[in-house]
Formats: sequence, structure tokens, C-alpha cells
Amino acid sequence: MTELSFYGFRPPGIEGETLPGRLIVIEATDGAGRSTHVALLKEWLEDEGYAVMDTGLRRSDLAGPGIRRAKGGHTLDQITLNLFYAADFWDRLERQIIPALRAGMVVLADRYVFSLIARAAVRGVSLEWMEELYSFALVPDRVIYLDIDVAHLLPRVLSSTGFDYWESGQDFLRGSNVYETFVQYQQMLLAEFSRLARRHGFTVIDARGTVTEIHQALRNVVDEAVRGMRELHVAGADQTVASAPEDLQVTRSERAAPSG
Amino acid sequence: MAMRDDLGVPGRLFIVEGIDGSGKSTQLNLLHKWLISQGYLVVFSEWNSSPIVKETTRRGKKRRLLSPMSFSLIHAADFASRVHSQILPALQAGAVVLADRYVYTAFARDAVRGVSRDWLNRLYSFAVKPSLAFYFDSPLAESIRRIMDGRPKLKYYEAGLDMELSSDPEESFRLYQGLIKHEYERLVDEFGLVRMDATEALIRQQQRMRDLVRPHLSGVMRFDGGEIHQALRDADLLGRYLGEVSGRPPTP
Repeated sequence: MTELSFYGFRPPGIEGETLPGRLIVIEATDGAGRSTHVALLKEWLEDEGYAVMDTGLRRSDLAGPGIRRAKGGHTLDQITLNLFYAADFWDRLERQIIPALRAGMVVLADRYVFSLIARAAVRGVSLEWMEELYSFALVPDRVIYLDIDVAHLLPRVLSSTGFDYWESGQDFLRGSNVYETFVQYQQMLLAEFSRLARRHGFTVIDARGTVTEIHQALRNVVDEAVRGMRELHVAGADQTVASAPEDLQVTRSERAAPSG
Repeated sequence: MAMRDDLGVPGRLFIVEGIDGSGKSTQLNLLHKWLISQGYLVVFSEWNSSPIVKETTRRGKKRRLLSPMSFSLIHAADFASRVHSQILPALQAGAVVLADRYVYTAFARDAVRGVSRDWLNRLYSFAVKPSLAFYFDSPLAESIRRIMDGRPKLKYYEAGLDMELSSDPEESFRLYQGLIKHEYERLVDEFGLVRMDATEALIRQQQRMRDLVRPHLSGVMRFDGGEIHQALRDADLLGRYLGEVSGRPPTP
């Protein structure tokens, strides 16, 4: 049972005390294997009969176009940009994540507020202000941090997407050497993530190992978090969510549709 | 975290607040004219006017996607964009900045929708603290009559219909403005807004405003029309359109 608890205050329009679902967040820098592991966890959880919704930091209906324009033109200051991201995050929390949790689903979030906070902090936005900004965020059941270092990150990034403009910090770091700005940026970002991990009690998983090893470690953490969901469903505060997997699947597709 | 007032910028910031129909815009326009005639460089800033945010707000409003928190965050983004691209640079350059509505509008509008007041205070800590903030205090019935006379059809958010106070737009507007007014009362005390009696004769309100603004203007740079105005005088022209272009009215 996810307790409806927020980092700072309960935003208007969110009712109730508990939610039958579970919110599990995977945080890591880009290239650490986040999306791979979210996909693997989803496969495994559905296999076990849990209805799963995965959500990323994709753009919502509301603020998406504004953010794209802003990033394209590089016209906005950091405060404005982060308020846009916050609007976007809130939209997803309110319209996707909380409804899914209410329906009894396991929500796997491929990044959460911490990525947004870390990225802003390395760009010079006050950490205090950023944490205050996101104090409307729901406290997840687990925040799992895939911990990696730049040495292990480099081959993965090179073999997949290569050096991305934003993930190399080229929007604010000086220097024309992309490799050097990538290393510098990632070191700053990883340091920020470590600070957040200590501060907010993330479950840290060493992401330098093989996919199988990391997946196994993730499973152990997630298994512990979802354990007990079946019993709670039978005890049933929320009668609309039955314990049979077929019913959950129906709920899932219905819920997934409007988020498109 | 409170609003920033340690910036040491050479400009001055004067803002007006009040419910719709309180006459605040009329008074600010008169102040604007006076400041220009005194030779000050004036920059006028309106609520919800930054181009990037405008598009998003329009999308949200059209589709009614805006829950109270979305509304709050999108407007904060709009305001932040205005502070950083317009208000702050103008103050740094030494201009007098006039704002028709400021953070207090967001405080009132969001607080009546259940958003945490403490959070709003800290969220808006990036804002510059005004040199003077005027609150136009007008009786609710009078303000509503003024609005209704001019604009019979109320818009969804303007009437506070999202708050589901009443399904009748006019009744909803009345109740909504009442809640906003109540919230303003709290803000006047908390932030030391200057209360203006909006039932007074307009000219007396303006005199009082100018009297209050004047002491804040010492040391602020002035700007004489210079070459453009000399050229106008030489050609015996009023420069009405030129005035619109440069934001300055013609010298009589």
C-alpha cells in the first residue's frame, strides 16, 4: 500500500490516504542502462501477474511543445526552464502516475524528480530552490539508483547513442572538445546524484556489472517492494481492482490509453 | 527564501494589484503617462505575456487541461521568463518598470485553489521585490458591476469555473472574486502592500499614487527625447506614431 505522502505539501486535487499500487523509481545518468532495466523489470513483473505502467520523463500534452521550443531556441533562463519541467512532471504525476497507483498498478518510473534536480543543480540553480519546487512530488515506495562511474559509462555511451549535446553539458560548459565536456559534465552530475542518494535514502545498486547481475539485484529490491500486493487486493479496499491477472490487464490498457 | 531585494539595481519597480474591475490598470496607465512626461525611461510589463508561455497557456486553457497545480506552475514559468528577459534587465539598465499585476496575483489565485502558501512564497523567491506595491481596494459589488457592464461573456478561468463554485458563470465569478479579495486582504498585511481606496475620485487616487511614487524616484536616470524629438519639432510633426513605436508619447 503506497502511503500518500509528499515531500513537502499535498497538492490540491489529490484525495485519499493510501493507494493500492506501488511506485518504483529508477534513477541514473543517461547510458547507465536505465531503460533496459525498466523494460526487463516490466517483463518480469507482468510475468508474475502484476499490472505495470512504465513512465519516463517524456513530454506531456501540456508543457511539451513549450519545452521543445525553449530548448530549440536556447531562449529560456534556467528558472523558467525548470518551472516548465515541473509543470510537465506534475501533469504526468496527476494524470498518469497517481491514477495508475489508484488502480493498483506497479508504476515503474524511468527517472523522477531527482534527475531534474541534479541536472538543474549542476547548471547553477539553487539546490534548495529545486527541492522546494518539487516538494509537491509523491514520495515513491523505492528509489533505486543505478550507480556507475564515468569509466564504465564511456564504452556504453559510445556503443549506443554517442555523445549527446545535453548529456555532454554543451549547453553550459565551455570548450569545444565534446569528449572533455562529456567527462566533466558526467562527473558533476554523478556527484550530484550521490549527494541526493545519501540525502533521500536511495537504494543504490552497483551498475558496473553485467545486465544479468544488475537485473537480479533490481529484482530483489522490487520483489520486496511489491510483496504483499496480492493479499491487500484480496482484502480489497479498492474493489475495482481484482486479484486476477486478466482483470489487471484490462485496467492497464484502459489506463494506458489516454496517456498516449 | 523571500523575494530578492538585495540586487542593488539602479531602476525602480512599481506594481499594482487588485481584483478585476478595481481600476488598477487605469491608475497604472496614468502613472505611466506621468513618468514619461517627467522624462523617465519606462518599461511596462503585463501579466501572462511572454511568447513561449503564451502558447502553452493557450493550449491548456483551450483543452481545459489545467488543474490548480498545472495552472500555478505554468504561470510561474511565464512570470520567471518575464522577470529574466524583461523586468530584471530593465531594472539593471536603470528604467522604471511598471507591472500590472505581480506575484501577489499568483499568490491569491493559487492559494484560493488550495496550493500551499508557504510553497508559493518560496517558489517565487526569484522575483524582484517591488519598490512600491499598490493594492486597489474596491467593494466587490462595484467591481463586478464594472466588469459585467463591459464584458457580458465570461471566460472559463476568468470566472473561476474550474473551482466548481457554481455552474452559472456569473455567480461563479462573483464567488470567485470574493475569495480572491479575501486572499488579497491577507497579502496586504503580510507583504506591506499600499492600500488604495478605489472608491475615491480617480484624480485623487492618481495624485496619491504620484505622491507616493515621487520619493522613490530620486537618483533614477532621465532620458530626454533627443534627436528624434528635435527632428519632429523641426518638421512641425506631432510624432504620434513614432511615439507608439518608441513607447514614448510625442512632446506637445
